Amino acid sequence: MAALSHHHLSSTAPFAFQQAPPQNHSGEPTQHAFYPYTDNGGSTLGISGKTFTVIAGDTRSTSGYNINTRYAPKLYPIGGQGPTHKGSKIVLSVVGFAADGRALQERLDTVVKMYRYQHGCEISVKACAQRLSHILYNKRFFPYYVQAILGGIDEETGEGALYSYDPVGSYEREYCRAAGAAASLIMPFLDNQVNLKNQYEPAAVSGFDKKQLVPQPLERPQVEELVRDAFTSAVERHIEVGDGLQMMFITKEGIEEVYFPLKKD
Amino acid sequence: MNALVSRYSQPAYQHEGHSDNDTQKQLALDVAPSLSLNFALPPIASTASWLRAMTDDHANPNVPIKLAHGTTTLAFRFKGGIIVATDSRATAGNWIASQTVKKVIEINSCLLGTMAGGAADCQYWLAYLGMQCRLHELRHKRRISVAAASKILANLVYSYKGMGLSMGTMCAGVTPMEGPALYYVDNDGTRLAGNLFCVGSGQTFAYGVLDAEYKYDMEEDEALELGRRSILAATHRDAYSGGFVNLYHIKEEGWVRHGFNDTNPLFWKYKLEKGEFSNVTSQLV
Amino acid sequence: MNHDPVAWGRPRDDIYGSYNPSYLPPTRQPYSSHPPSHPTTHTQSPVVTGTSVLALKFSTGVVIAADNLASYGSLARFTDVKRLRPFNRNAIVGFGGDVSDMQYIDRLLLSLVVQENYAGGGESVTLMNARNLHTYLSKVLYKRRTDFNPLWNALLVGGLDEHQKPFLAYADLLGTTYSAPSLATGFGAHLAQPIMRKVVPDEAAAAKLSKEEAVKTIRECMKVLFYRDARSMNEYSLAVVDVRGVELKEDNKLEAESWAFADQIKGYGTQTV
Repeated sequence: MAALSHHHLSSTAPFAFQQAPPQNHSGEPTQHAFYPYTDNGGSTLGISGKTFTVIAGDTRSTSGYNINTRYAPKLYPIGGQGPTHKGSKIVLSVVGFAADGRALQERLDTVVKMYRYQHGCEISVKACAQRLSHILYNKRFFPYYVQAILGGIDEETGEGALYSYDPVGSYEREYCRAAGAAASLIMPFLDNQVNLKNQYEPAAVSGFDKKQLVPQPLERPQVEELVRDAFTSAVERHIEVGDGLQMMFITKEGIEEVYFPLKKD
Repeated sequence: MNALVSRYSQPAYQHEGHSDNDTQKQLALDVAPSLSLNFALPPIASTASWLRAMTDDHANPNVPIKLAHGTTTLAFRFKGGIIVATDSRATAGNWIASQTVKKVIEINSCLLGTMAGGAADCQYWLAYLGMQCRLHELRHKRRISVAAASKILANLVYSYKGMGLSMGTMCAGVTPMEGPALYYVDNDGTRLAGNLFCVGSGQTFAYGVLDAEYKYDMEEDEALELGRRSILAATHRDAYSGGFVNLYHIKEEGWVRHGFNDTNPLFWKYKLEKGEFSNVTSQLV
Repeated sequence: MNHDPVAWGRPRDDIYGSYNPSYLPPTRQPYSSHPPSHPTTHTQSPVVTGTSVLALKFSTGVVIAADNLASYGSLARFTDVKRLRPFNRNAIVGFGGDVSDMQYIDRLLLSLVVQENYAGGGESVTLMNARNLHTYLSKVLYKRRTDFNPLWNALLVGGLDEHQKPFLAYADLLGTTYSAPSLATGFGAHLAQPIMRKVVPDEAAAAKLSKEEAVKTIRECMKVLFYRDARSMNEYSLAVVDVRGVELKEDNKLEAESWAFADQIKGYGTQTV
C-alpha cells in the first residue's frame, strides 16, 4: 500500500521510461549563476468592444511584501510622435518583472516608430501584434519575465482589437484577457461577464434545449464598470494589487486615459 | 594585448551601456524582417539547463516562468484525404491559459501544421515554415511538397536540439506529386511519414479510439466523425486537453474547415443520443 | 523529448540530465530532502556594503540621506565612506549595496560629467538633469544584469527634472526602477518608509511640504534606523537639492540620541509582558 500511494503521489508514472537517478546534473559543471528576475506584482486586463478597446492595470509596484510605490504605470502607449506618443492608437500593458517590461516596451516602440519612418504610414495593430510576438520569441532562450496584452483598433473593421501573450510570444486575438498576479481571480469573472460562459437563457427548460447566451460586444459604460468591479474585487483578495487603477480607452480618435483610486491597504 | 590596451586606454564610461556596435546590431535587428534566427542567450555556459530551471513546470511546479503548452492533436490519412483534429486548451502549470487556441496552423491553402508542446515554439516555427514554403513557391514556380516542407522544419528544429524547444507537430497536405501526405516532426528532430498520428499529453486516449475504429476506406463523414470522437475522448480523460474540437479535412483542392465545436454539448450528445460514455453517471441539467 | 503522457513534451532526464534547481533562488526551488549545496561565491555577491539610503521630496526639491558606514559583513569596517555623490549641480545619487561597485559607478559618472562639459561647456548649455541621470544609470544596471554581471547596488537619484521640478527615483541591480514622493532602500524600506509615508502620502502632500519639515523627517528616520538597523552608524551625510543647487553636508551627527527606551524592550519589541 505504501508503495502504491507513493506511486500515486509521484508525478512520474511508475511504468514510464527509465529515468536517470536525480544526482549529478549530467556531469556538466554547475555554475551558480546570478538570478536575473524579480516579480513586481500587479495585474492588468483588456476588453475589446465594437468601436474601442480598453486596457487597464493597477499602479502598485511590489517586491516581496514591500510596496515600492503606489504609482508605477503598467500601461504604455506605443508609437505616435515623440516621447509623449502623441497620436498613438496602440497600447501595450506588461506585468511581471517591471525592468523587462520596460525594455520590451522600448523595443516595440522603436520598431513601431522605425516602421513609420520607413513606410510613411502607421503600423496596423495586427502587424504590431505579430512583431511583438517575434520580439518576445527572440528572447526564447533568455525570456522576458512578462505577460503582455496589446490593444488597438482593427483598421479593416473599425472594431477593437486585443492580443494576449505568454512570456515567449505565443499569442492570440481575444475579446478579453486578464494577466498578472490576480489573473486567476479576474479571468473567471471576465469569462462569465464578457464571454457569458455558463450563462443560459433563463426561460429555457433543461437538457439540450438550454440555450447558451451569445456574447455581444459591450458598450463603454458597461465595460468601464466591469473593469472597476474586477479590480476593486481583486484588491480585496490579493496583496499585490491596489493603490490605483489606470485605464486607457483606445478609439479611432486616439487614447483616453482614466485614473481611479483603489484601496491603499 | 590589443584588447587590454583598448580597455585601459579608454575612459570607463565607454565600456558601459551599448557600444556603437551593439546599437547598430540592435537597430538592424529592429528594422530587419522579424522572423529571424538571431536569439538572445543567457550569458552562461549551460544555457539549456538554465532555461529548463526557469521554465520546466513539470519538474518544478514552482518555476518563475510558466509557458503556455498545447495538448491533444491528431491527423490521419484515409481514402478521401487527410483529417486533422485538435483540442483548443493551453495550460501554464495548472492554470488554463486559454480554451480557444487555434492549434491548426494554416501554412498555405493545401498544407496544415498542428501544434502540441510549447505554444510559442509551434507558432513561431510554423510561421517560419510558412515563409520558407512561400519562398520555395516563388523560386520554383510550384508548390512545395509536404515531404520537403516537413524536412525544412525537421532540419530546423534539429539545429536547435538540446536548447529547450518543445514541439510535437504534424505537417499534413495534399500535393499533385505525393497525393495525401502526413509527417510527424518533433523537437528531437524526429521526422516520420505515416498514416495516423496522435500527439500530445492526450495522445494515448486519442489513439485508443482512433486505432479501434480506423479504416483506410472510410467515407468522408465517417472519417470526420472519428476525428471528432477521438479528440473528445482525449478531452474527457486528459486534464490538460479540453475546450473546443477543431476539425479540418484536406482534399485535393485544399483544406476545408469543419467547425470549432464546444466539447461540453458534444459530450452530452454522444452520451445521450448514442449511449456512449456510460461510465459517467451524472445527468444533464 | 519525453513522450510519457504525464510529462509530455518536456526534456527527458536520462538524456538531458536531471532538473537543476540551483539556478533558482531558494524560495523557487522544489522541496528536496537534500538541498543542493551552494559553494561559497565571492564575485557575485557584495563584500563591503553600505546600508539604507533615504530620500523625500518637498515643495521645491529633494532631501536625501545615507550614513557614512561601509560594513564588511557584520563588522563596521569603514566609518568615513560618503555614499552621496552630487552630479551636475542639480542632481545627487545615493548608493546602497556594494561599495566597490559604487566607486565604479562614481568613476563612470565622473567621466560623464567631464565629457558633458567638454561637449557643451558654459552655463547656458542644458546639462543632464536628474531624470536623464536616472535613465542612464538604470540602463547601465539593466545591461549589467542582462550580462549576468550585476553592479550590486540599490540607488536613489534625487534632484530636479527638465522643468526644474523635484525628481526622485530608484534603480537597483536588476534594473528595476520606480518613483515615489518618498523612497528608501534596504532596511529603510521597512523602517523609514512608513514614517516618511505618513508625512507625504502622495505627490500633493510633497508639493506642500517645506524644506525644514522634510529635513526634520529625514533626520528622525535616520535616528530610527540607527536604533534598529545593526549595519548603521550615527554619523551620516545629508543633502538638499533645489534650484539653488546641491547643499551637501557629510558630517552630521545624530541629535538627542538616547537608549533609555532600550530596557523597556522585551523579546522582539512587540512583547509587553
